[in-house]
Amino acid sequence: MSVVSFAYYPGCSAKGSSADYERSTRTVCGLLDICLEELPGWNCCGSTPAHAVDTELSAALCVRNLDIAAQCGAKTVLTPCPSCLSNLRHAGRRMATPEFRARVNELLDAPAAETLPEVTSVMQGIARQYDKAALTARVKKPLTGLRLGAYYGCLMSRPADLMDFGDPENPTLMEEMLTACGAEVVDFPLKTSCCGASFGIPERPMTARNSAKILDLAVNMGLDALVVACPLCQMNLDLRQKQAAKSAGTTFDLPVPYFTQLLGLALGAPTDQLGLDKLCVSLDGLLKKAEGGQQCG
Amino acid sequence: MRIGVFICHCGSNIGGTVDCARVAELSRAFPDVVYADDPMYTCAEPGQAAIEAAIHEHRLDGVVVASCTPRMHEPTFRRTVERAGLNRYMFEMANIREHVSWIGKDKEANTNKAAELVLMAVEKLRRNTPLTPKSFDITKKVLIIGGGVAGIQAALDCADGGVPVVLVEREATIGGKMAKLDKTFPTVDCSACILGPKMVDVAQHPNITLYAYAEVEDISGYVGNFSVKIRKKAAYVDWSKCTGCGACTEKCPARKTPDAFNELTGPTTAINIAFPQAIPKKAVINAAHCRQLSKGKCGVCAKVCPTGAIRYDMEDEIVTEEVGSIVAATGYDLMDWTVYSEYGGGKYPDVITSLQYERLLSASGPTGGHILRPSDGREPKSVVFIQCVGSRDKSVGRPYCSGFCCMYTAKQAVLTKDHIPDSQSWVFYMDIRAPGKMYDEFTRRAVEEYGTEYIRGRVSAIYPDGKGQYVVMGVDTLLGQPVEIKADLVVLAVGIEASKGASQLAEKLRISYDQYGFFMESHVKLKPVETNTAGVFLAGVCQGAKDIPASVAQGSAAAAKVLALFARDKLESDPQIAQVDMRRCVNCGKCIRCCPFGAIKEVEMRGEGKAQVIETVCQGCGLCTATCPQGAIQLSHATDNQILAEVNALCQC
Amino acid sequence: MPVLEGKELRIVGFLCNWCSYGGADTAGVARAGQPTDLRIIRVPCSGRIDPLFIVKALLGGADGVLVSGCHPRDCHYAAGNFYARRRLEVLKQFLPVLGIDERRFEYTWVSASEGQRWQQVVTVFTERIHQLGRAPRFDDAEPLLKLADMALTSLRPLGTGQTAALDELKDAIRAKLPELDCVIGWQQGYDAAHTVPLFIRKPEDVDKLVWGPFNVNNPAVYLPSFKGKKVGIVVKGCDSRSVVELLQENLIRREDVTIFALPCEGTLDMARVNEKLGRYQRIDSVSLDEAGATIVADGTEHRFCMTEYAQGKCYGCTTPAAVLADTRLGTPTPVQPGTVVPPELALLDSMSLEERMAFWRGQMERCLRCYACRNACPMCVCRDFCISDSRNPHWMSQEDSPREKLFFQTIHAMHLAGRCTGCGECQRACPVGIPILALRQQIARAVAQLFDGYRPGLDPAAVPPLLGYEVEEKNIHERDWK
Repeated sequence: MSVVSFAYYPGCSAKGSSADYERSTRTVCGLLDICLEELPGWNCCGSTPAHAVDTELSAALCVRNLDIAAQCGAKTVLTPCPSCLSNLRHAGRRMATPEFRARVNELLDAPAAETLPEVTSVMQGIARQYDKAALTARVKKPLTGLRLGAYYGCLMSRPADLMDFGDPENPTLMEEMLTACGAEVVDFPLKTSCCGASFGIPERPMTARNSAKILDLAVNMGLDALVVACPLCQMNLDLRQKQAAKSAGTTFDLPVPYFTQLLGLALGAPTDQLGLDKLCVSLDGLLKKAEGGQQCG
Repeated sequence: MRIGVFICHCGSNIGGTVDCARVAELSRAFPDVVYADDPMYTCAEPGQAAIEAAIHEHRLDGVVVASCTPRMHEPTFRRTVERAGLNRYMFEMANIREHVSWIGKDKEANTNKAAELVLMAVEKLRRNTPLTPKSFDITKKVLIIGGGVAGIQAALDCADGGVPVVLVEREATIGGKMAKLDKTFPTVDCSACILGPKMVDVAQHPNITLYAYAEVEDISGYVGNFSVKIRKKAAYVDWSKCTGCGACTEKCPARKTPDAFNELTGPTTAINIAFPQAIPKKAVINAAHCRQLSKGKCGVCAKVCPTGAIRYDMEDEIVTEEVGSIVAATGYDLMDWTVYSEYGGGKYPDVITSLQYERLLSASGPTGGHILRPSDGREPKSVVFIQCVGSRDKSVGRPYCSGFCCMYTAKQAVLTKDHIPDSQSWVFYMDIRAPGKMYDEFTRRAVEEYGTEYIRGRVSAIYPDGKGQYVVMGVDTLLGQPVEIKADLVVLAVGIEASKGASQLAEKLRISYDQYGFFMESHVKLKPVETNTAGVFLAGVCQGAKDIPASVAQGSAAAAKVLALFARDKLESDPQIAQVDMRRCVNCGKCIRCCPFGAIKEVEMRGEGKAQVIETVCQGCGLCTATCPQGAIQLSHATDNQILAEVNALCQC
Repeated sequence: MPVLEGKELRIVGFLCNWCSYGGADTAGVARAGQPTDLRIIRVPCSGRIDPLFIVKALLGGADGVLVSGCHPRDCHYAAGNFYARRRLEVLKQFLPVLGIDERRFEYTWVSASEGQRWQQVVTVFTERIHQLGRAPRFDDAEPLLKLADMALTSLRPLGTGQTAALDELKDAIRAKLPELDCVIGWQQGYDAAHTVPLFIRKPEDVDKLVWGPFNVNNPAVYLPSFKGKKVGIVVKGCDSRSVVELLQENLIRREDVTIFALPCEGTLDMARVNEKLGRYQRIDSVSLDEAGATIVADGTEHRFCMTEYAQGKCYGCTTPAAVLADTRLGTPTPVQPGTVVPPELALLDSMSLEERMAFWRGQMERCLRCYACRNACPMCVCRDFCISDSRNPHWMSQEDSPREKLFFQTIHAMHLAGRCTGCGECQRACPVGIPILALRQQIARAVAQLFDGYRPGLDPAAVPPLLGYEVEEKNIHERDWK
């Protein structure tokens, strides 16, 4: 397959809390001949707070990024983070309204390009290039023997018409990818419920409760890992796993890797290129199990 | 002509936004109008008397009433003018209520519009001619489509009234949805025990011909003389020989056939009798699952049948019945609730429909009347009922209330406690709608005596907790807080929709149906049983959501309509039909080619071919009039000249 | 009555009794507020609506006309709305050629339960009409008399039929004549530059038969009057289509008609020929060659090349050979594939709506109301019962106004919709040379586009499109009322 190239918007967390997501995304895309061209001089999309305070200012932040992409001649921008995806897509869509566009343009140094590029998630971007069979063909170390659950979080599939993940209650794209990698993927009922999101700081007990419910179900279902695609979900379920356990009066030891990390493993990437060391709950047990599975298989 | 005009105030309904006196005043200047008045209620007795008096006093030979829609009171006023000695067709109406006063607030514009509508009616009336109806014979036999409780009631009442009945049922047995129910609210009567005798009556009544496992293929004709083609679907069993002994069903090896009667709660055999009290109690082979019919190998039932009734080569058969009237009683189906992916979309075996729950409760059901979870056969101790799944929900295109779910949910909660005394039931509801006799009392009993927990709020998600139970996440809107319940079984009160194929049947019957497929009654308040097609009546849920007593009542009402229709020996045909001006007809045959009813034939007249209308067959659509280039065929009371007069009243630059 | 000045516009509605009138009632019962402009005429079925009512209203000063019936498949009379759908769609495509904005007419389907939809339809349509404003009145139009030059391109070489097998044809007619009451053809008229119909009854009449570019008449027009008799007819390709159409409509019987055909190379547009000849006392001579005719009149020589002076219909003709014949002699020149917009229609196409209305206003002032157009039309089967002469039904007043005269042309065109073979006799017969064929051509174009290229007069077994329907119309789509 020839190399395809996309503009790439990493988002702020990629440079901090989710550096492992960023690392594994780049590694996986490299292995899949998907070239990511990071936008020069990109800025924060506004994350959770901006659009809650001022839609126009928030849109201006996003449109600036989209405009940079447009100036670079990009047709499609890839981003790993669902929150960034939501903000960028929202802003792009709102620009169709002439009045809104005019107000946002006033906030920018120069009016934004007439046609802004579309934005898509890394997951959808990969799926666009590789269907299940094509992905399986690239797998070098199948994740045989692993029992995984896919957890999208509340944002990835909602609102449905914006995010384009099919049924907002039951997205299945991540399951398809992990199945393609040879894992046993069970339908995780809470795949789109909320982990507590950015309330990890202001409303810690609530976040702990939400996360605990998700982790508890995953453990009850006998999962080896709960696979995520959102930096914030990953933080709440992994970094704050002990807090969640405490609130539920139990203990958890459930790895919560990014789907890109598992994809990377299956594609044969060296573990040090997937940022596995950044995970709080280690993947070591899981890796052993996978190897065992391969030997048996 | 001497025309009298009456502008009705209809209380303030018209008078509020139309200056009726002014319209009457303007009307006096219209051609041929010699009298105009603006009574308060024209349709009331004094109003009608005033019309009669004016006809005598002012020697009127035509009357225009401007009031409500002619679809409401045209027949009323036709009778009024007839009482005063006029031909009933020397009358026209202007609709200044539904089309004027109720839809516009601008009094000046409304008044002007009303006056113009009156002018149009006057111009049309000036070109009316007296018409006399013709009488024709009727076939005193009724077709009832659908053998649920409404159809059964209509059939029995008609048959008791001496009218031969043809009852067509799509399934292999009559009984409909009610036959699937365990008990009925609010008395907790056994459903089969109260329906069963009626079903037997249908089978035994000398006036009833039952076509079960049959569907209406085609309907032609008109009131008094319908011709109906009925497709008797191949049962692969000769019912004249089948005794319903059940030997075949015991031996049939295809034991994984889906059981539609049991709402797929358990398997059955490929040759099957729906349930022990089925009427007719005859076996039917499910061809898709029969090994003989699908693979050509088996033939067990043919071997064991003591009467040799099995016919693998059977084909559908079409029979034709001539009837004078038709009752549609096609009932309902449950909407496809799997669109609710937050409830698992059908993924979870222990999230079931209320109708499936009825089958679990029923002694004739797959569990023998024991409530057992479909997933593991365990007895549930905690049962959650969710109401309005596909009712009152615009997001799934079902904004209407299904009517009876509140009541059967309460009943099912009560029965759950009866069956499993140490169980607990929860009901998530939006509003409790219990307006029937003894209904609210019954729901109170469910709460107070049976300890059912009613939670006002919607359920946002159901998911298995991984330990054998389901977590039901919802909100209690009275307490304003989220709730979570661990349930062993979740029962969804799934909303209803018109029965599958209802709209196609409506097209065959030439009756209207709404956007959800429910059949349209003639008038929502005053003609809830009639349709706009003469001789076709409605009974039961096919017309709109209703419970068993209401369905039974409407079944009887439809029967009363049929009996009233058949009380006459001859019917009068509407004389508003097409007529051929023989001098103008050049026999080009275009009208004959277009007529949807075959109501025009070619006749020989002085050596020339001419078109002729068959008076009792013509339905008065006027398609021929719009087709005839020389205007030789004219629809009475909608002639070219009358419509042109109405156009010209409005459009003279 | 006049409309409320400044407040309302004149909008006429035709609603079927069972669905849409009920839908309007339902809207009323629900107090679903609507603009007050609409005046509803109740008819039993949308199939009852003669499209001419709509033209009558629009020419008579209506600013908009709205038709609504039962949804397709739900017709109370089973199929009335299926017929209506085809007729109304053809009308919608016809209106612009008259200079009427087609947006002023709309048709839709509203059921008795759809009060909300009715409210939506009325509101959207009334808004649309208010946006368009008061309709230009035909009577107020400033007459426009210009006739632009017609662009003439032909799908085949045009000629004068010099090599046609006329003698063999005469032999064939002579042989067949004993079995026939009459054979219709052409003979020289009052001079060599004109022909008149020839009715061959005796063998010696056969010698009078002529063939060439002056054979402009369509002899098929006489066939229905010979009903019941055995009759032969000599046809050009276009004439044969009229014969086929007459057969299709059972106006003549196949076994009664014997068709003789020669391949046609085109006929002259006598209106333009006469225009060029100007006033003259006598024709001195006519000589024909392959490319055209040379006419000497009063000593002056005039040259008429076929490529320049053929009838408009000849340029786009695809049937130079008869589509149906018993005796066929000679082979026609091949026709290139493709379509040519007839020159008359191209002229109208080049105009704006306002210009078209002004054009017809000017042309109709010249109309003498002589009905030569009607009498020349082979498909005008009403004969003595034309509705233009009738009081019952009384479609037209006897007033000599351009509006009534245009309305007559519309009646003729609509009655011929899906039946007109485009033979052009109406226009050829017009003594004042009004290009009325354009109206029929516009309908023919709409019919071909809507009904999969249907062209009348090709297949005696075909059902004329407006006398039939499809449950799902491929090319007619319900409009959006959002």
